[in-house]
Amino acid sequence: MTEAKPAICIPPGSYPVIAGVEAIGLLRALRDPVVVERAACAITGKVEEMRLATLDHVGRMEQAGADLCTIFAEAHEIRGLAGNAGLTATRHIANGLCFYLDALWRAGAKADPHLVELHLDAIARAARAEDEATRLGEEVANELAALVGKRLADLKAS
Amino acid sequence: MGERTMPGATFDTLKALVVEDNVHMRTLLRSLLLALGMKQVYEASNGTEAFIVLRDKRPDLILSDLSMKPVDGIAFTREVRLSEASPNPYIPIIMITGHTERHRVEAARDAGVTEFLAKPITAQNLFLRIAEIVERPRPYVRCSGYFGPDRRRHAEEDYAGPRRRHSDPKDDLESR
Repeated sequence: MTEAKPAICIPPGSYPVIAGVEAIGLLRALRDPVVVERAACAITGKVEEMRLATLDHVGRMEQAGADLCTIFAEAHEIRGLAGNAGLTATRHIANGLCFYLDALWRAGAKADPHLVELHLDAIARAARAEDEATRLGEEVANELAALVGKRLADLKAS
Repeated sequence: MGERTMPGATFDTLKALVVEDNVHMRTLLRSLLLALGMKQVYEASNGTEAFIVLRDKRPDLILSDLSMKPVDGIAFTREVRLSEASPNPYIPIIMITGHTERHRVEAARDAGVTEFLAKPITAQNLFLRIAEIVERPRPYVRCSGYFGPDRRRHAEEDYAGPRRRHSDPKDDLESR
């Protein structure tokens, strides 16, 4: 067995870091309530754009048929966008679907088409729902997550 | 980068690069950096484009998505850290991702990512990561199979594994 060489540790300062007046100015801005508020407003101002983008990906996911790679890719985009669109339940359900498909692929197992279909339906409903129905969507997200957990536990036990 | 103490200089000379294939998320991140007061924010939609921008514009900070094609955030980070063509292998990289799968996060960490930021993005969380980079820059570690920020976030007093660093006590190194 060959012996590994010791690791070399390179401390900050012996490599270039953001320092001096730049660091002071940047830290001041990062903690300035006016700047933080301005940045928060920048996010709020994008909510509708993010919602429409999320819905666009929901439409593409619905068109994917049985193509699980496309479904995963679209669900991944949805979980990335939906949170900044105020679609919390949509994000949770899409995340659950990605988690399920990723775990199956790593285990070399096949997806249960009914479970995938349940997720697709729930994502579409939650993304298009009004506020109250979205809160109900959180319960659906939790139920689906429990179902995924059980399926993956069964898979591990088999 | 480095110690610059020019009188009157402010952080608006700092440059950032946003690497994200989703145009909506990319513009959101750009908006946040502009709101912060950064004047020079460059964009790329994948790792290949980003490396070109990195060489041309020499940014001081990178915000990168994980999943992109043809070159994702992990391969891009590895190239930044290890390629001889990389203009700054020490540049801080904040990986912004919707991935929650543990193996993907670990792969990004092992590629040399400096900080992680989970989606959905908030100004507060992004600013905290940037502040962490400025206030507490981490040592870099070079060993067989890894070059990047120290992956040990906390010193474990009861650590019982092998000690493999030059900075570790000599007795520990010799007793391996």
